[in-house]
Amino acid sequence: MKLDSVDQILDFAIAKEQEAWQFYMDLAAKVGQQPVKQVFEAFAGEELQHKAKLIEIKQRKLMIPVQQRVLDLKIGDHLVDIVLSPNMTYQQALIVAMKAEKAAFRMYHDLAAAAGEGNLKESLLMLAQEEARHKLRFEIEYDDNFQREN
Amino acid sequence: MTEPVKKQYDLNRREMPKQLPEVRRYNFNEVALGYTAETAIEEAKRCIQCKKPLCISNCPVEIDIPGFVKCIAEGDFLGGIRILKDKNCLPAICGRVCPQEEQCEKTCVFHKKGGQIAVGRLERFLADWEAQQCEPEMPEMLPNSGRKVAIVGGGPAGLTVAGDLIKLGHKVTVFEALHRMGGVLIYGIPEFRLPKVIVTREVEYLRKLGVELITDFVVGKTRTIDSILGEYDAVFVGSGAGLPWFMEIPGENLNGVYSANEYLTRLNLMKGYLFPKYHTPVKSHRKVVTVGGGNVAMDCARSALRLGAESRIVYRRSREELPARLEEVENAEEEGVIFDFLTLPLRYIGDESGWVRAIECQKMALGEPDSSGRRRPVPIEGAIVTFPVDAVVCAIGNSPNPLIGATTPGLTIGKKGNIEADEKTGTTSREKIWAGGDVVTGAATVILAMGAGRFAARSIHEYLSRPQAEVSQNSGA
Repeated sequence: MKLDSVDQILDFAIAKEQEAWQFYMDLAAKVGQQPVKQVFEAFAGEELQHKAKLIEIKQRKLMIPVQQRVLDLKIGDHLVDIVLSPNMTYQQALIVAMKAEKAAFRMYHDLAAAAGEGNLKESLLMLAQEEARHKLRFEIEYDDNFQREN
Repeated sequence: MTEPVKKQYDLNRREMPKQLPEVRRYNFNEVALGYTAETAIEEAKRCIQCKKPLCISNCPVEIDIPGFVKCIAEGDFLGGIRILKDKNCLPAICGRVCPQEEQCEKTCVFHKKGGQIAVGRLERFLADWEAQQCEPEMPEMLPNSGRKVAIVGGGPAGLTVAGDLIKLGHKVTVFEALHRMGGVLIYGIPEFRLPKVIVTREVEYLRKLGVELITDFVVGKTRTIDSILGEYDAVFVGSGAGLPWFMEIPGENLNGVYSANEYLTRLNLMKGYLFPKYHTPVKSHRKVVTVGGGNVAMDCARSALRLGAESRIVYRRSREELPARLEEVENAEEEGVIFDFLTLPLRYIGDESGWVRAIECQKMALGEPDSSGRRRPVPIEGAIVTFPVDAVVCAIGNSPNPLIGATTPGLTIGKKGNIEADEKTGTTSREKIWAGGDVVTGAATVILAMGAGRFAARSIHEYLSRPQAEVSQNSGA
């Protein structure tokens, strides 16, 4: 896929959000525990919201330059990769989500680094920060639920 | 005309004697030694008997605190224990391990000036006095109702439900998975904080009241709840939170890496520290790191110290955020536990035989407050420290064992594995099944579990007091 214009970048990002929705729905279908299934379905729902936001940005040409870097708690960075299995727990579901969002952040960040100065770079940096915001939301949920005594 | 005399209040909270740190760090005997009768009376006399006592409303089991304190002040200890036991069937335990500083004592009118009445110490005094002076009094018992209640789990929630319902005339059976009753009171909290003889005494009291106690019975394996319901009118699930969390970092499968549950169970339930008197020794370690900052982490670190190790706690936040009781933190510091705050384990490093040999940690700093006002720790770039260890104890929390949820169709389970139950009644998504304590809330405190047990017992009694036909009809549901 060519990423020569802001619209192409946004189309790419919209497709990525759709893939993320599919990823979580596949996990929801795979896990056995109903509450964890619902957690993944909720994550999938959030990806659709992200997709809708990007579509709106594209239609209304709402690209906003990055003002401030999103806080990175780096909680997921040192955790092991979770083996996807039917017995996954809520804790593991959050780790999967943190890592997926971090990977998306890195992808946009790397693309931005490779892009020249101008609108393309700004667009990619904005998308990177958007993914960082998603990751922070999962990090805070993880911190509040599984790190209270740590 | 004379000026009115300003009333002088005694704000001098009486201290409770303790074993000296340099002595107690080498033994598992109880740290706090309790009030003498004279000190207890002095302390109780400080209470001004508020007309609208806030201490009662902040007690999860609504004990008439001014009532029993007044009895102590007057030297009527028997009267005091009667009032105490009217609402709390485990006073010797609560007097030792409940966080009174966050509950009844926090709302004492003297709290702001640091002179709050030492409710927990007085509660403990009365319970210990009763145990030394006389056989416990038998309470009034209602006649046999002909109804049967099964209780899953012999911990604080289950024992409270048992104590309440047996007095109301119902036949009660407690099914406990381990070989001793008491749950976390037996396997979790160490001897130096809660002597097991006290737990045994409280359990024996329930036995004398007529509660049937069955050990080595794993509900969900030995028999399911639905099978038990074939013989009982109601089931209360108080099976606790026994499934430990790990950090999901590299090296957690190395030998020498324990969950707090395993480490404490080996010591407390299996009496590992009393080898060879008990044939279940624990491995002797030289350098132990405990991960976490709660009461369980303090218990692990202080136990490791008593077993002769250099004992260190690594905690991701600062001292101010430690979730453990301040008293336990101070005890640990006095005894020589080393604290490394703002330190996060990244990985455990093993040797060629698969034993843990080091723990690599990231130094942290507290970031700016987020929208909730909480300052979250963030890594300091490049600040890595490594400690040599031969054991690590992970004490970061627990969730309920999934067994009961997996074997009880229709019982609604939350995403953290907890049974979903009504806060005020303990009712669940299933008719005839109630739940309370850590299995509902996740790991919390003994008194909160007892409070949940009390609410559930009330609700179960109300249900069992309905006309027989209605209960039987429900039985068939």
